[in-house]
Amino acid sequence: MEAIIEYQGQLLQGTWVTIQLALFSLLFSVFFGLLGAWAKLSKNIVAQKTAAGYTTIVRGVPDLVLILLVFFGGQQLANQLGQLTGLWDYVEISQFAAGVGTIGVVFGGYMTETFRGAILAIPRGQIEAGIACGMSRFLIFRRIIWPQMVRYALPGFSNNWLVQIKSTALVSVIGLQDVVYNGFVAGRSTRLLFTFMFAVLMIYLVLTALSDLGLRWLDKKYSKGMVRSEDG
Amino acid sequence: MGEAADDQAALEVHDLHKSFGDHEVIRGVSLAAHKGDVISILGASGSGKSTFLRCINLLETPTAGEVYIAGEKIRMHTRGGRYQPEDIHQVERLRAKLGMVFQSFNLWSHMTVIENVIEAPIHVLKVPKAEAIEQAEALLQKVGIYERKDYYPLQLSGGQQQRVAIARGLAMQPEVMLFDEPTSALDPELIGEVLKVMRDLAEEGRTMLVVTHEMGFARDVSNKVVFLHEGLVEEQGDPKEIFTNPNSDRFRQFLSRTNQ
Repeated sequence: MEAIIEYQGQLLQGTWVTIQLALFSLLFSVFFGLLGAWAKLSKNIVAQKTAAGYTTIVRGVPDLVLILLVFFGGQQLANQLGQLTGLWDYVEISQFAAGVGTIGVVFGGYMTETFRGAILAIPRGQIEAGIACGMSRFLIFRRIIWPQMVRYALPGFSNNWLVQIKSTALVSVIGLQDVVYNGFVAGRSTRLLFTFMFAVLMIYLVLTALSDLGLRWLDKKYSKGMVRSEDG
Repeated sequence: MGEAADDQAALEVHDLHKSFGDHEVIRGVSLAAHKGDVISILGASGSGKSTFLRCINLLETPTAGEVYIAGEKIRMHTRGGRYQPEDIHQVERLRAKLGMVFQSFNLWSHMTVIENVIEAPIHVLKVPKAEAIEQAEALLQKVGIYERKDYYPLQLSGGQQQRVAIARGLAMQPEVMLFDEPTSALDPELIGEVLKVMRDLAEEGRTMLVVTHEMGFARDVSNKVVFLHEGLVEEQGDPKEIFTNPNSDRFRQFLSRTNQ
């Protein structure tokens, strides 16, 4: 226990990095998910095919492979490009950016499917009712599709999000000092690996439990009108 | 619209065509509704009557023909081989002058009854919220569902939902109300309450276009009946005349089948 108190600074710092990673990559995954769902549901063939390719590739490859590819491979590629064009000298991809970007893009693939399904779950007639009232496409999205899509997407979204938080652990492989990296280093230098990895485990549990609270709040907020009453 | 515009049609359709792929569902239908007209559109299933109605507010894009709403023509042009609206903003503006009631009600299920009714007035017509609520409450009184104004659609019966949908259409203060088989999805015992509301609207002088299977409504309430057969007007006229004395054999057959 004293060891943990001694290293609490590192653990907390690592936890903060993990939280930032998770939240920033969530922003990316939601963005790519919405874009992907829009593309898959659009009438534009090019958009459809691009989105289909995106989700197939990204969901069919291990996250770890992609992270290594982006971080090491991407760096090499960027430098070769720099040499070739003479536009820049030497670039270094930040571990944080590589992690956020990769995890965001990967989970964007899962979010795409979640959002697509959620949009399809909204009865078409409700959208037609909006059109018939003279609503613009944006207004229909904002007032009719979005609130219901969130509701239908929440179960799948919650699942994705929990997996996404846990996936951030992969970035320790590229040397980013997240909670796993710091916990592991502390464990090794104190020879108390079990203690430290157990502490890391508990930290993840706290993070996922907190997320659960947030998700439940969202569920309540967006469940309006979804329950059938007795006197129907 | 001043006094002088009294003889101008609230809604006019010229030679409307609509194809789905190779199949031409509407093969040239024209129609004019003047203020206070209640026009029933009859026809067997597959006659194109719902498609025709949906072409009026461009829920389906016609393949040819013209639509005028309160004298203003929906501007169409052909682009990339497709007949389509020239200006979507004009279409949106004109759609707001039509109230539409669907077979399956199509209320927004995440909004309460009153929220359904004030939604478009506030966000499309830019009516101040307080005013929209006041107006909506009056409309809900009128269709007899004010007591349930804070319920969600799924907590209501089909007949109640349809009456809310009618109030939602009326809240647009439309030139014309379009009804697309408004009672077809209802249990028999709930049809009456919806028909009564529609009857009241007709008596008030609302301009209405009603696609229906309710012969009683067509005969007693409307002042004009249009019978479609395979995408063409087969018979039309005053219900008192054509119901007792149909010109076309097909309409005669249709009547004898539905009278049983």
